[in-house]
This record gives sequence, C-alpha cells and structure tokens, in this order.
Amino acid sequence: MLSFIVRRVFVSALLLLGASFIMYILTALSGDPLEELRGSRDPNRDLLIQLRSDQLNLDVPAPLRYFGWLAGAAKCLIPMANSCDLGVNILNQPVTDLIPMALDSTIQLITGATLLAIVVGITIGIVSALRHNTGFDYSVTFIIFLLFSMPAFWIAVLLKEFLAIGFNDFLAQPVISLPAILGIAVVAGIIWQAMVAGPRRRRVIVFVISGLATTALLVFFNLSDWFRNPGLGAVMIAVSAFGIAVLVTGLIAGFKDRRAMTTALINAGLAVIAYFTLQNLFDMSSWATISILVVATLVVGLASGWLVGGDDRAVSMRIGAITAVLSGGLLLIDRFMQSWALYTADRAIGGRPIATVGSSTPTLDGDIWIMGIDTFTHFLLPTISLTLISLAGYTRYVRSGMLDVLDQDYIRTARAKGLDERTVIVRHAFRNALIPLATLVAADIGAIIGGAIITEQVFAISGMGQLFIRSLSNVDPNPVMAYFVVVSIVALIANLIADLSYAALDPRVRTH
Amino acid sequence: MTTHISVTAPEHGTAPVLEMIKVGVEFGVGRDWVPAAKNLSYSIRRGQILAVVGESGSGKSASSMAILDLLPRNSRVTGSIKLDGEELRGLTSGHMRQVRGAKVAAIFQEPMTALNPVFTIGFQIVETLRVHTGMRPIDARVRAIELLTMVELPDPEKAYNSYPHQLSGGQRQRAMIAQALSCDPMLLIADEPTTALDVTVQAEILELLRDLRDKLNSAVLLITHDMGVVADLADDIVVMKDGEIVEAGEVHQIFSAPKHPYTRALLAAVPRLGFGFGPDDATGAIDVSAALMEALEQGPVTTTDRTTRADRPGSPDAALRMDDISVEFGQRRKIKAFKAVDRVSLSISPGEVLGLVGESGSGKTTVGRAAVGLQPISEGSLIVTGRDISHASSKDLRGLRRRVGIVFQDPSSSLNPRLSIGDSIGEPLKLAGEARGKALGLRVEELLDSVQLPRSYRNRYPHELSGGQKQRVGIARALSLSPLLLVADEPTSALDVSVQATVLTLLKELQERMKFACLFISHDLAVIDIMADRIAVMHKGRIVETGSRDDVLRAPANPYTQRLIAAIPVPDPDAQRDRRQLRLALMRTAVD
Amino acid sequence: MTQVLETEKKTEQVGHSQARLIFGRFVEHKIALVSILIVAFITVLSWSVVGVGSIPGWWHLTYNQLNPLIDGGRPTMSVVPQWLGGEGVFLGEHPFGQDRIGKDYFAMTMRGIQNSLTVMFIVGILATVIGTVIGAVAGYYRGVIDAILMRFTDLIIIIPVIVIGALVGSIASTLGGAIDGPVILGILLGLFTWTTLARLVRGEFFTLREREFVEAARVAGASDARIIFKHILPNAIGVVIVAATLLMAGAILLEVALGFLGLGVRPPDVSLGRLISENQSSFAHRPWLFWWPGLFIITLALCINFIGDGLRDAFDPRQRRFRPRRQKKVLK
Repeated sequence: MLSFIVRRVFVSALLLLGASFIMYILTALSGDPLEELRGSRDPNRDLLIQLRSDQLNLDVPAPLRYFGWLAGAAKCLIPMANSCDLGVNILNQPVTDLIPMALDSTIQLITGATLLAIVVGITIGIVSALRHNTGFDYSVTFIIFLLFSMPAFWIAVLLKEFLAIGFNDFLAQPVISLPAILGIAVVAGIIWQAMVAGPRRRRVIVFVISGLATTALLVFFNLSDWFRNPGLGAVMIAVSAFGIAVLVTGLIAGFKDRRAMTTALINAGLAVIAYFTLQNLFDMSSWATISILVVATLVVGLASGWLVGGDDRAVSMRIGAITAVLSGGLLLIDRFMQSWALYTADRAIGGRPIATVGSSTPTLDGDIWIMGIDTFTHFLLPTISLTLISLAGYTRYVRSGMLDVLDQDYIRTARAKGLDERTVIVRHAFRNALIPLATLVAADIGAIIGGAIITEQVFAISGMGQLFIRSLSNVDPNPVMAYFVVVSIVALIANLIADLSYAALDPRVRTH
Repeated sequence: MTTHISVTAPEHGTAPVLEMIKVGVEFGVGRDWVPAAKNLSYSIRRGQILAVVGESGSGKSASSMAILDLLPRNSRVTGSIKLDGEELRGLTSGHMRQVRGAKVAAIFQEPMTALNPVFTIGFQIVETLRVHTGMRPIDARVRAIELLTMVELPDPEKAYNSYPHQLSGGQRQRAMIAQALSCDPMLLIADEPTTALDVTVQAEILELLRDLRDKLNSAVLLITHDMGVVADLADDIVVMKDGEIVEAGEVHQIFSAPKHPYTRALLAAVPRLGFGFGPDDATGAIDVSAALMEALEQGPVTTTDRTTRADRPGSPDAALRMDDISVEFGQRRKIKAFKAVDRVSLSISPGEVLGLVGESGSGKTTVGRAAVGLQPISEGSLIVTGRDISHASSKDLRGLRRRVGIVFQDPSSSLNPRLSIGDSIGEPLKLAGEARGKALGLRVEELLDSVQLPRSYRNRYPHELSGGQKQRVGIARALSLSPLLLVADEPTSALDVSVQATVLTLLKELQERMKFACLFISHDLAVIDIMADRIAVMHKGRIVETGSRDDVLRAPANPYTQRLIAAIPVPDPDAQRDRRQLRLALMRTAVD
Repeated sequence: MTQVLETEKKTEQVGHSQARLIFGRFVEHKIALVSILIVAFITVLSWSVVGVGSIPGWWHLTYNQLNPLIDGGRPTMSVVPQWLGGEGVFLGEHPFGQDRIGKDYFAMTMRGIQNSLTVMFIVGILATVIGTVIGAVAGYYRGVIDAILMRFTDLIIIIPVIVIGALVGSIASTLGGAIDGPVILGILLGLFTWTTLARLVRGEFFTLREREFVEAARVAGASDARIIFKHILPNAIGVVIVAATLLMAGAILLEVALGFLGLGVRPPDVSLGRLISENQSSFAHRPWLFWWPGLFIITLALCINFIGDGLRDAFDPRQRRFRPRRQKKVLK
C-alpha cells in the first residue's frame, strides 16, 4: 500500500511539473505585463518598465523563465525553511503572502460544496434508482438535465436576487401567509408520497401525514415568531434525537435488532440530558472546547455500543457513534439558533442576515456562535450554487450505478438467501455502488475548483478564484501560476484520497 | 401439447416437496406480454433430483425463478406453485423471505458474479444463517466452517476469510453450495450449476452434489442444458422446448426410449466420446471405459513413450509445424511474465485435422492464434504452410493471410455488426485482390451456398441472424480464400447442442471436400472426437499427450488425459454410473 | 440426421443496417426530435437576424447601434393574441427591449447566440476530431504510444477547463482582430477540450480491438488504417457522437462563463455571458436584460443535452423501459 502511495505521489508530481510548464507558457501568451505601462504618460515610464521587467524577469524568454520560477517554487518543498518563492506580482508583493487568506475561503467553499453534493447526490440518486421509472425518477432525471444546462453564474445570480434578498425582506415581517402554508404543505406531501411510492393507499396516507406535519410545523413557526427567535427547544430536540435514533437503527441494523435500538436510544437520551446540562458550558465555549466535546460524544457513542452490543458489537458501536454525533449536532445547531436574534440585531447586520458579498462581515465582533452564524450566512449561497453544479453529476452517476448493481447476480443471490430489502439495498447494493463513486469524486474536484472561480466572482469572495481572475485581467503572471500550483495540489490530494478510499471499499484492489 | 405429465412415482406415498401446477411465466417485451413458459406441471419429492432440460430460450430458468419470486419486474406468473403443500404464489414478501434461503435455496451458474465481491465468503454464509436462525455470531461461524468443510474446500478456515475473487471457480461454486445448504433447505434449485466450470471441476462438483443429496435428503431441481450432467445426477427428467414440457419421465426411460421426436433428436445431437454422433453412428466406436479400465490396471504411469516423445517430425510440406514454441504474457516491471504456452511442438499434415483439447487457461487458444500469426511467439520456430513466421513482421504476415483462415468462438462478436454479411464474407477476397465488383458478388453467393445459407442473406446484418447462422458466415469467411490451414477455435462452444451438431457436420463435410488442414480447438473432447484425425491434449501451457484419435482414446497414457476422459459425463445414466466409479478409482490411484 | 433440430427461421427479406435501426430508435425519442428542431430554429434565427459576414440580416437594427430609449427600454413584443384578451401577436420596435444606453436587445441577444453557436460548433468539431484520433491511436496501438498520449492527456486534464478557458480567452483577445473573435476562441478552446473524449474513445477501442471481428479482419489481411476506420470506428461511433454532443453543450456553457468573467469575445462584440454579467446589477429595474440571454443559453444547452440523451438511447437501447399496453390484473 505504501509503495502504491509513493508511486502515485511521484506520478502526480511529474504531471504537475508538465502541466505547470504548459500553464506557464499559456500565461505568458495571454498578455504582456508591460502593455499597460507602455501606454502610460508617466514621465518615469521607461524607468517603470525597466523596473517591472527586472522584477518579473521579462528579458528572459518564457520557456527559460519557467525554470527560474521553478527553482523558486522548488524551495517550497524544503520543510521548515520558509524559503518559498513564487515570485512577485506586478505591485512587487511576494505572491506567497497573497495565498493563505484566499486559500482559506476557497477551501471552505469547495469542501462544503463537495460534501453537500456527495451526500445529497447519493441520497437522491439512490432513491431515484429504487423508484426507477416512477414520477419521482422522471422528475429527478429532468432536474438533472436542467442543472446540467444552467450556467453556474446564472444560478448564482438568481440565488442572490431571489433567495438572499427575498429572505431578508421576509425577515422584516416573518409570517408565512395561509395560502403559502397550504401550498408548501401540498408540495411537501407530493414529494414525500413520490419518494415512498408503492400502492395507492400507502401513498395517500403518506401524502396526508406529511402534508399535515408540514402545515403544523409552519403554523408553529408563525405563532412562535420562530424566524426571529429560532431554536429547537427541549421538546424538539428530544423528538428529533429519538427520531434520529430510530432512523439510524432502521437503516443500519433493522428494527428487529434490539441491542442496536437500545444503543441508539441511550445515545438519544444522553443528548437530551446534555441539552440541559451543557448550556452554560456552551456559552463560554471556544472552538477547542467544542472539538473536545465532539470527541467525547464520539467516545460515548462507541462505548455505549460496545457495552450494549453483545454479539454484534461492531454494528452497535457504529450506530451508537452515528446517533451520538448526529444528535450532538442538534445541540450545536440549537445553540447557534439561540444567537440568531442577537446576530440579526447587530448594527453591522441591520436585520438583513443573508449576505450576498464577501466572506465575512468586516465590522462584526462576537463569540464563536455569532461569528459562526456570520460565516454561515456568507457561505450559504455560494455553497449552494457551487453544490448545484456537481449535484447533477453525482445524482446521475449514483442512480445509474445503483441500477447497474441492482441488476447483478449477487443481488439476486442476496434475495434468494431470504434477506429483507433493507439489507439487500443498504448492505449489498449500496456498498458496491459506492466503489465507482470514488473515481467520480476525484474527477469532480477539478470541476468544483473551476466552478469556484465563478462563484467567488458573483459573491465577491476574495478566494483563489478571484486572485486568478484579477491577476489574469491585470496581466500579472506569477499569481496566476501560484493559483494553478495551489489548486492542482489540492486536486491531486483529493485524487489520492479518492484512490485510497477506492482501495478501502474494494477488496479486489486491496488484497493483491 | 402434453400438459398433464406427472413425474411423481407411485411407490412413494409421501407428499411432494414441490408441486408446480400449470405454471406460466410471461415477460413484457416492448408493449406485449411474451410467454417464456407455459402450462408447466411437475413435482419433486424429498431426496429426488429432477432435471429440467432444454436449450437456450426454452424457458427452463424462468419457471424456477418463479418459485422464489425472483423474476424481474416486467414479468408475471400464472398457475400454482406449492411447497410442501403450501401455496407460494401470493405470499406476502415477508413470508416469501422466510421461504427463501431457509426452505428453498438456490445456486446459480456463474459463481464469480453470484457472490458479492466486497464481502468475505464467511460473512455471506453467516449472514444467511443468522437471518433465518438468529444464531449468535460465534455459533454461526462454527456452523459456517462446518459447512465449508462439508463441501470439501481444502482449507475451510482460510476460505471463510477469503473474498470471492481469491478463490478459483470451482471453490467459489463450493462456497455457493455451502451457503445454499446452510439452513437445510427442503428444496435446492441448481440453475446450470456447472456450466461455467471446466469439465474436471464439473465432475467434482457433481460428485459433491450427489453426496450431499444422499446426506441431506432434500429435493433438488436441477436446471441444465447438458445431457451428460442429467445422466450423472438426475432421477427424473422434464424436457422443455419453447416454453413447454414436451416429455417427462424417469431418467432411464427417457434415455433409453425417448418418445417425443424432440427428445430423440436432442439425445442424438449430443456428442459421445468414442462414438462420433450418437449411438447409431458406431463406425470406429471406441469403448473409452475399457481404455480407462486398462489404464487403471496399469496403475499410474510415470513416463510413457507418447508423452515424452516429441510430435512425429512433420514433413517439410506440413501445413503447420510448431517446434518448441513459447508465448509469454504481461511482463511489466515487477510482475513476472506468465508463460501461456510452454515449449509446444506439433505438426499438421495437409488435409489432416488435429484436435487440440484443453481446459480454460491451458493455452490452447493462444496456440491457435499463433498459428495464424495473430500472436507473436517468444521462442521456438513456427512454420505455417511452408513459411517461417517465427519472427515475422506484419508485412511478412500479409502474404500468409491468403493461406490461413480462422473461425472464432463467439458468433456474436466475430462479425462486424456494421458490415453486411456479404461484405464480411467478401472482405478477404477484396483485400487479397481476388475479385471485385460483380465477380466478388458471385463468389460471395457461392460461399453462402457452400455453408448452406440462402444467397439473399448477403444483404443482411449480423443482428438479424441466429448464432448458428452467424457461425456459418464465419466459416464462409474463413474459407473464402481456400486456405491450406484452417484454425477453428471452439467454433461451437457458444451454440446449443442441436445447432452445434449441424455446424460440426457442415465443417466436416467442407473439410472432406476442400481438403484443408485443420487445427480444431475445443474444451470438449467429445467434439474433438467427432472432428479430429489426431488429438493433442494441452494442460497448463504444455502438450501432455499427442497421438492419433484411436491411440489417445484407446490407450490414454498421460494421467491428465485419463482424468479428462473420465470426467466427461456420458449421456446415459447407467454408463455414467460406471464411468463415475472409474473416475473415482483413477483419482484414488493418482493420490496414492 | 439432425436437420430437424435446426429451428432457425429463414425468411427472405432485405437486411436492416445498424444505421437504419439507430435512426429508427432516435426518431422514437420525441423530446430529442423536438430539441433538434428548436436548435435548428434558433441557429437559423440568429444567423438570419444578424447576417453573415457583409450580408446584413433581416432585422433592421444592429447589435451595436444606439437607438432612442422607448418606454424605458421595456420589451415591445407581445405573444398573447387579441382573442385571448391580449394585445395581439407582434414584435414591435424592440421585441426584447433595450439596454441602458438604447441598444436593441433582440439584435444583441441574437449576436450573442451566433457567437456562442460558432464557438460551440468549432469546439465540437475540432475537439471531436482531435479526441477521436488521439483516443483511437492510443487505444489501438496500446503500449508505449498509448502511455505517451495518455500522459499528455493527463497533463491537460489536470488544469481545470475553466482555467484553460480563461487563459485561452485572454490569448484569443490578444490575437483577435486579424481573425474573427469567436472563431479563434473556438479553435483555441477546441485544442484543449478533447481530453475527455479521447479517454472515452480510447476505452472503447480497448474493448473493441479485442473483439473477434477485428482479429478476423487482421487475418483477412486488412491494414491498421482499414481496421481502425472501417472496423472499429464505426462501432465506436455511438460513443463519439454522444460524447461530442455533451462536449458541445459544455462548450456553450464554457463560452458564456468566459463571457461572464469578461474574457473571450471582447466588446464591441457581444457574448451572452457578458450580457448577463453587465446587467446583473440592474436586475431589479430591467430584469429582461437578465432573462433573455439566460433563457436562450438554457434552452440551447438543454436541447443539446436532450439530443445527446436521444442519441445515447438510440445507440445503446439496453436501458429502454418496458411499457405494457395494459397491465392486466394477474389472477392469484
């Protein structure tokens, strides 16, 4: 395995070397950095030209200049030496100083979008495959086509114009009208019954229940002025945590597994207790405290599974950990919600929380909860628009992969063994359908990074993409190269992770 | 047709385990329901093995999948299926699941794809056990290893922890059987359980199934196209054609006195080792059993004349001469080269047919490809129709093309789907500059005549032809330039037995008329027996035995040849019983 | 003796070539057919409105002339007939409205579409040809040639398409002038976007070259070129055509994205992406400036994707679904 990784890294490095050469030449061809100075009427014009030419080494022809640049870039590989040299921009700032801030925003953006796209894409893709040739499947297929055909920036502008501005306007008078409630309820009901499918009787029941539940929820929101003072509260936390417990057990072990169910319920119960005991600790928490709490939650989940699990320890531990982390997440969400009113009331926000530009509110100051909400409101829309780009790909891929797998002989064997549908799908089909997905993630990272350029542009986030576009239009070659080097390293790392997970998922690759 | 055929023998008073009453299966194709099986009625008792026999498209598998309710969604079932007196049709999915795996278990044709590649064998068996018995994992593990031991896997512990891809085909099928038997089912459905396996492995799996039947006393529904397998295992037979039962009865009765013309024709079409076609054609018949007896009496031979002796030195005008040729594959950095062909020598005189027999991976196809210049050899000398092509460049080979032809195994892939039949047959003629325009058309029509296809077929496309017809086209193409040497690489192994018979007859007629030399490659010694003047046996890249057909079949010298001959099931239940004994005896002496 | 068993039907009829079968299946795909009509209509419309080269189009205004603002630049087109209570069907002076300085938005949109389509067709053809040749050669010859070509492909794949596009867009605008903007942009983009197609074609060649009919052709004495073009390529054409369609849909989206970023086709020429980018700030006041280009981009991309889907179904009918005429209740 180690030799595999080493070989992969070596090949990647070679590819990076070759690609960076192509990039360098293309960048050099894309414009002359001295162009703007030549046209200027500055009395020092010749001096300025000379200066910039020296800074950027423009006397040397581009193919040779590349090696000078490469020599500087190679110093980045020396650990701890801090001698990294990616050249200077046209304002004579070292490029290495420009990167960290920009990279931070971009990484947040692409990580969030990738994870969201994978989770949502897998879910929709699988449901769509299981409901093959139903109304739900057709709708999903059509939406995939639509997403494939929409320019990313167009979606982004629409989100900005409708979602952000619309929601902010709504917050001024946060009451949902009765017709809107009924409309939403009907739509929710239609979606749920389409996902459940099956005989008409069951669909009608699901439609009615989900429609009523939605109506009740929205009426509750209206009555409690929820959008101004959101929060889950003890009751909602308890209901959701136990809901999570039942759902996780049902998916992973089946309802018949008493021990697994006990584990899950214990963890849900602990989450409710924690809700009452941890509030004070939350109030004075830092990110470090939160991290410790997360680890503790994980440990509790695993330990409870180990203690209760009996013969099937592994399953119970897994269920324990998942339930613990998910219901723990509820507590955090609740705590963030508690700060929402404070956040929107802040002078810097002015009651319009969903941001359309930038990655943070410059003048805002507050505890981790306030700052967390601020990051959330700034990254919400860019992340959604970036997610939509790759969501279609994942959904389509998972759907067709799952359909393929469901056609395989071993699925027939699994059914012939008398396994229930849940086990056949979750254990036998899903695991196999996941394998090719690893390759797609690797390929998709490139697209997401590219998409980030546009998203950052629309939402004015000063990330790597903006650095690239700004430098390109200023004819500033070194930051362009730095952009390329950084994002391709990110992409190559993602690729490597994808390869490793491929090996982890597929024993045919692993055991060789 | 004959609708009410009951196979239940009167002497057993017990209720049948499975009772099929007027079962029909239909599939949705386009916008219509197309019947795959009609009006099937049969029943199986405990301890009985019932074979459902039929060629492809006879609907033999569809009905058995109906028992487990595992048909695809675009299908529907009529009639009544009773398991132990209880109706299976219309059971809720929950009840059906309690039947599957516990009361009715199934093993399928392709053991590679029938086991989930991402889970270990042990896990998959334990899963079955626990879902039906609620056993504790530790107990289930013990039981699983017990089962793996029962199916005679060499190292059950290791097999338990292995992934399917780490086992050989035969081992996988054993694991599959272990899984199927884990809950002591009352009915075992075996759907072509040995079709994907080599004949020697097949013999072992059949042996295992028989043992288990005796041990467990369950009913077995055996679905197969292979009359030899039927003769080996079955107590009773149901013969199916076009979705209907044409004949049913006790195995001896069907084999000795088939009533329906289809059954008779089917039995006649089965090649029998030592007999040529069918029992009627007794010219030059060889009693293989006697030969094996003799071999058994002589005991295991260490060396014989024939195995060590190189093939008789070919005359200089031999159509094909191979001297010590080797072929290596896949030498890449760390991976060591795999020697697919290891110092093979053989020669074929003009007008002679050499049958090359071997199991999968023996290297026989590689030898065939080398003979027509498709596969470069790494050592040795290769002389084809008088030309040395041991180190030939592609230009040298072009001259060779006019003197050799090759017929491939898979009729669905051997014709270019985008070319019409006429274009495919005419291509060698056109490329060789033999004929063009009208003359070419005439030649193509002559060739179609010679393979007994209507002339109008020249305008058709491959997808409009059946497998047998496509194979005829392949033969016409290979013979278009009247080659001196024809390589036929498993030309009939993808065909149904009845179609195989017609294609073999045609090929033999053509060979007798055109007098080309032929390297006939097959995994089936019985087919080789029909075609070949001389036989070469290949095993693990080497030729272990060569000789005239009579020599090899009358006195097989090499232990592998003996085992191969003994493993081929005879399509006659009594003869097969004796053959089985012989095989076991041979295996025993080999071990000693 | 065994002739009785030959169950093969021997009916006399003229054969149907694969091409005819595929065409027949494609025609069944109604959405794809309608999509082809829509794309053809938009293509003809845009070219006839703007004109070709020095030949002027039928629309009386051009995309770069300034006109007096009428009704705040609102669209004058009406599509609701009078008998339905509307104002009747007519185009008016500025059917799609005017931009802030009075340019006719219909002419501008059509010019943008023309540029997008030009880029799309050039990229589609060029990248398909390059990708097919590279993929075919790599897949057919394998070994060292394959390794070199595929490593070269990897080099280009590492660079995100939009990054290459952005660079190429700037290069195109420095080169522009001598040659038509969209043409040179299309050529440059085509030089870098063939990679996915090359991989697909290579994969297809890898499997096809193992098929026995290829070996048969080799034994028959066919040359490499004949095997590649006469035997393998026609069987890989489905993959090529479908991939080419998707490539073209991607090319349109890439072109408008570059326009949006201010790269690619430069002013005074028009790009749909640039129209959206320039007018997004006036979304609240002149929403039509945002909707028209967006509508056409999505329509074009969607139609081309549907055509690709129809072609995929036609070439590979395995995934077609079963529609029984009537689902009879089966008696239990």
